[in-house]
Amino acid sequence: MAGAALRVESLAADLGAIVGARHVLTRHSTLLAYESDALPGYHKRPRLAVFPGTQEELVSVVRRLAADGVPFVARGAGTGLSGGALADDTVLIGVQRLRRIINIDADARTATVEPGVVNATLTRAAAAFHLHYAPDPSSQAACTLGGNVAENAGGPHCLKYGVTLNHVLRATVVLPDGELVTLDRGDHGGYDLLGAFVGSEGCFGIAVELTLKLTPNPEAIITMLADFTSVAEAADATSRIIAAGIVPAALELMDQATIRAVEESVYAAGYPVDAAAVLLIEVDGPRAGLDADADAVTAICSAAGARDVKRATDAAARERLWQGRKKAFGAMGRVAPHLVVQDAVVPRTQLAELLGDIASIGARHGVRVCNVFHAGDGNLHPNIPYDADDADESARVHAAMQEIMERCIAAGGTITGEHGVGLDKLPYMERLFTADTLDAMCTLRETFDPARRANPGKVVPLRSCREWQGLPALRGGLAG
Amino acid sequence: MSLAREALHPHRVEDVADIVRDAVGGLRIRGAGSWMHVGAPVVAAHELRLDAFRGVRHYTPGDLTISVGAGTTLAEIDAATAAHGQWCPLLPWGDDRGSVGAAIATATGGPFAEALGRPRDLVLGLECVDGRGRIVRAGGRVVKNVAGFDLTRLMVGSWGTLAVITEVHLRLRARPSADVTLLVEGATTTAMRAFQHGALPPLAALPLGEATARTLGHPGPGAWLLRLGGNAPQVAAARQALARIGACIELGARSWDVVRHDQAPPPATHWTWTPLMKRVREAFDPRGVLNPGLLGEAA
Ligand SMILES: Cc1cc2nc3c(=O)[nH]c(=O)nc-3n(C[C@H](O)[C@H](O)[C@@H](O)COP(=O)(O)OP(=O)(O)OC[C@H]3O[C@@H](n4cnc5c(N)ncnc54)[C@H](O)[C@@H]3O)c2cc1C
Ligand SMILES: Cc1cc2nc3c(=O)[nH]c(=O)nc-3n(C[C@H](O)[C@H](O)[C@H](O)COP(=O)(O)OP(=O)(O)OC[C@H]3O[C@@H](n4cnc5c(N)ncnc54)[C@H](O)[C@@H]3O)c2cc1C
Repeated sequence: MAGAALRVESLAADLGAIVGARHVLTRHSTLLAYESDALPGYHKRPRLAVFPGTQEELVSVVRRLAADGVPFVARGAGTGLSGGALADDTVLIGVQRLRRIINIDADARTATVEPGVVNATLTRAAAAFHLHYAPDPSSQAACTLGGNVAENAGGPHCLKYGVTLNHVLRATVVLPDGELVTLDRGDHGGYDLLGAFVGSEGCFGIAVELTLKLTPNPEAIITMLADFTSVAEAADATSRIIAAGIVPAALELMDQATIRAVEESVYAAGYPVDAAAVLLIEVDGPRAGLDADADAVTAICSAAGARDVKRATDAAARERLWQGRKKAFGAMGRVAPHLVVQDAVVPRTQLAELLGDIASIGARHGVRVCNVFHAGDGNLHPNIPYDADDADESARVHAAMQEIMERCIAAGGTITGEHGVGLDKLPYMERLFTADTLDAMCTLRETFDPARRANPGKVVPLRSCREWQGLPALRGGLAG
Repeated sequence: MSLAREALHPHRVEDVADIVRDAVGGLRIRGAGSWMHVGAPVVAAHELRLDAFRGVRHYTPGDLTISVGAGTTLAEIDAATAAHGQWCPLLPWGDDRGSVGAAIATATGGPFAEALGRPRDLVLGLECVDGRGRIVRAGGRVVKNVAGFDLTRLMVGSWGTLAVITEVHLRLRARPSADVTLLVEGATTTAMRAFQHGALPPLAALPLGEATARTLGHPGPGAWLLRLGGNAPQVAAARQALARIGACIELGARSWDVVRHDQAPPPATHWTWTPLMKRVREAFDPRGVLNPGLLGEAA
């Protein structure tokens, strides 16, 4: 059944008849471009890639694959950081040609889009109505809304406005067997299958259409940069701001290693290079009372030990402060050829202690950890620039990361807050969840995809699914 | 229904798992029992009472999260968090005597849901026993979590037909520093809608029926109950804006309890079952032991 010896040529011909032959790739060299996502270290080459140009074509492609039980992997922009969009010797379905904004309903504050629409494109289109799409991953200029839904993506402004889950109202999904279903939040009677689908990392089917919530642009915005002489003080200020009842639109922490990387790059934002840490804090909302919030934030930071709290005085200054944060990963990319971007969440009150532990773990393994993260959510991103071709350094990076993740789990945290499990975090799943819980996750997946053909081998280790034990290993490959 | 029911009263999640595994003749799940008549009649041999799953299990106020047993009442959560200037703003229709497990299982909203979040937004994770007797611990105590498939969201609003919820982890909010409840009279619906969607949105805005307005001592026609929350200048600005569209009378926050209780309960819940929904029910409760018939799935 699944992965039966099927000739690639005949499949390619059939798919070419659906989408047009030039949108089907089978040549080794052209498929090279799809063998990784934004996470270095993993390379899996698809056997075939197909790029439908309409929703109908996408559904037909999935049905064609279902007829032969062929597994597949959906891919948006390939900016994922967990190896989620990699297809190992099977079919990759790229959705980036499906980039129509079908409708913006300004009164209802909703947008209906195809899955390949780039996140920032939607916000640009909504600007005419003084609306925007609130979840803003740092990759928003490239990543797709379908990929965002699949990963339940976050971003700096998700502290106040919520993550992708909170902004998806409806999804039309083609299930792996070719059935087309509309999922909603269950508000009108029904299970919240939309909630279950968001964050399912392409393992439940492919989103072909999304209805998303748009958010009114705030009346006013104040962006601030607080400058600290210790990371612990910055972390402490974070907890105090939230506990005081102020919900900033964003509350981002960058440590000295990150500040230096940014300031040495073309994205230099004017951050103080001698600071041990800076907090980028944005408050927004009605003009009335906004100054009061900004003053309170300033007072809290000062009480926590800030040397200085600067306010951006105009849009250009604000842009500049944000540019450094949004391009921080890129800036680190200049330090070394490769970068591991980690993603873990811990209870906010433990940030200070954890950052201390991360620093000593890094030192012990002789690697340079840069921290830039969504502090308000306790969502850490310990990043390590390194050279993947240097076996010794790679091993040390790997060991350090593993220790960091274990430390986060021990603190009552989790192994990913927005990047997903993909391939990369599989080894941690059995440490984080009990056998029963993993088995229940498998059950949920099987209701959508009984044959496990959508994104096989991701998110939950196969051996954790009781019903799958004993069955011969799923073969994803295609013959020929 | 005249079926004699034997009540089961477990104290530990492992006991719940044993009960579910051994169940013959179905289990009717009961939290505080204030809303058991909603839905289609359940025919079950046993009632599974969850009131022993009670109390705060983990609360670090600085994290703005709390973990409680599913049988804990909303009133108890309110009391525990108020001491730290925080609240769990579920505030569902009805009152706070109900259990949090039921509020999550029924995904009960309330007048503050739009501004402060619905159960699906406020639940960070939960522990439950599914119909196969598996003890499932989904999500966690942190505010962001995408590790694995989202069993938490699946359980929210599933009315006890997939699992018995035994513990929940909730996101709390700081109580706003300024918090004012106003009765607004003489404002047009258009003006009130515009205010709701304007720059100074309220925490809640509810048009009142005449009877409810009378209960509150203000029988004015077309009255609205409004709650403004935020910092002092914000709330002051909102009050000024409101005064321009209607006559405002300040009431106590307790008025909301009256209004929430006065809300007519919605009609019985009967779902339209899609094939996918049926598959989910069958997968998590293959023997149909949990709240059998409640959602009309037998019909
Ligand atoms: C006067 C009144 C009006 C109300 N109006 C509304 C309304 O308009 N809309 C609305 O949505 N809600 C309404 N409610 C419901 C109520 O606010 C909440 O749903 C809840 O707090 C009830 O709690 P309980 O523990 O008494 O529930 P129970 O009566 O014990 O249980 C309610 C339902 O949830 C299931 N259940 C209970 N605990 C669990 C658990 N741990 N795991 C799985 N399933 C469980 C039960 O099987 C039952 O079907 C109203 C309640 C009252 C009293
Ligand atoms: C510089 C940089 C910064 C980043 N910053 C953030 C950040 O702030 N927050 C954040 O959350 N992430 C961030 N990311 C990670 C990444 O951008 C997000 O995970 C994003 O949501 C992936 O979208 P994509 O279109 O690139 O998806 P891909 O990488 O192509 O795919 C990701 C997963 O989604 C699945 N998928 C894709 N499309 C569909 C579909 N239509 N239906 C079903 N499944 C589908 C794939 O199978 C795969 O499992 C960042 C990445 C980079 C490189």
